Amino acid sequence: MTDFRPTILAFCCNWCSYAGADLAGVSRLQMPPNVHVIRVMCSASVKPEYVIKALSQGIDGVLVLGCHIGDCHYMTGNHRTAKRMPLVQKVLKETGIDEKRMKLDWVSAAEGEKFQKVITDFVQDIQKLGPNPLREVKF
Amino acid sequence: MMREEHGNVAPALISKGEDVGEIRVDIPYQLITILETIYSWVPKGKIAVITRRCDEKALAELTKRNYIDEKRIIKIGLACSKEQIAKCRCSDPVPSKVDIGEPNEPVPKDDLSERLAKLSPEERLKFWVKQFRKCNKCFACTHNCPVCFCDDCVLEERTFVPEQSIPPGLSFHMIRSYHMIDKCIECGECERSCPAEIPLLTLRKMLAKDMKEVYGYVPGDPKAVSPLNTTLEGETLEDECDEC
Ligand code: SF4
Ligand code: SF4
Ligand code: SF4
Repeated sequence: MTDFRPTILAFCCNWCSYAGADLAGVSRLQMPPNVHVIRVMCSASVKPEYVIKALSQGIDGVLVLGCHIGDCHYMTGNHRTAKRMPLVQKVLKETGIDEKRMKLDWVSAAEGEKFQKVITDFVQDIQKLGPNPLREVKF
Repeated sequence: MMREEHGNVAPALISKGEDVGEIRVDIPYQLITILETIYSWVPKGKIAVITRRCDEKALAELTKRNYIDEKRIIKIGLACSKEQIAKCRCSDPVPSKVDIGEPNEPVPKDDLSERLAKLSPEERLKFWVKQFRKCNKCFACTHNCPVCFCDDCVLEERTFVPEQSIPPGLSFHMIRSYHMIDKCIECGECERSCPAEIPLLTLRKMLAKDMKEVYGYVPGDPKAVSPLNTTLEGETLEDECDEC
């Protein structure tokens, strides 16, 4: 599966993770090209429905990145995200989709290198899993 | 309550002094779904409802969200028969107050859930894809569910579920699974109503187990707040805003 190039969505919150992504870019850190970054105002605005819809349409992996707990611009937005995403993973698991296709992590505006690492590791994990089986499933 | 009508079991609304007729306790509906409908027709006074354990838990989910005023409801507790419990694979069949029937033992497990849990993810996916391909998007599972109460259902939004498509695809069932995870009281009404005979109760039971494992939370308690509505420290958050 070495030539498998996964398609990955990374939802990044405006205040921390997107700034972290920006810093990674400005610092010219090497990053895999197959990640599409979507800027959202808060990780809590990433509805579980978005993650489910993306994966059910054949996207290979979804990253949700927010501010560290305690640093949310909206105080408790990321608490909601932290509570929701493990349950989204359970829904994936019970349906038969590897829950590792969804990952939640925290990246601050100062963590350009962490952003690079999270992205690189996730792409590697998804490469190991192979393509999303739902790419092939037609309803 | 339910009574015999033309040889069938039918829901009946009876007011004071009226003859109750042939009462039936083998209730094939979720009574709280019916209560939600008649609640606005009976603006004043008290409503007595036969409550099995699942009805009681559904009622708790509604009263704590202020959809129904607890003070207006009189519960007539009905303990389910062995046959009913077997049909529902019910692990919690005895209401807090038993007025009718004898308490019976729960059925602690659901065979299909256990079989599915042992399958590989690929096989599990194959199973559900085959099941969900039968779905005709009739919405019986949502309309008859006592705790499916959003005014605007996301399953009707084309952003999330493809428009004009039957079957509606996996997102329909996965989104509904996620939405029910902190509310489902495992009454099995979705499965009973499903014309495609999709084992929806099994899916609900699998996720109820996950919910319990992750947050130790079981829906149906009138006081407990859903972990989706609290911070990581357990402080209650405001209700979610659905505007954006
Ligand atoms: S789910 Fe349990 S309490 Fe409800 S009708 Fe079935 S057996 Fe009775
Ligand atoms: S079992 Fe089905 S109908 Fe009953 S509460 Fe759960 S989702 Fe709703
Ligand atoms: S009741 Fe069955 S067929 Fe109808 S929408 Fe629900 S799952 Fe699909």
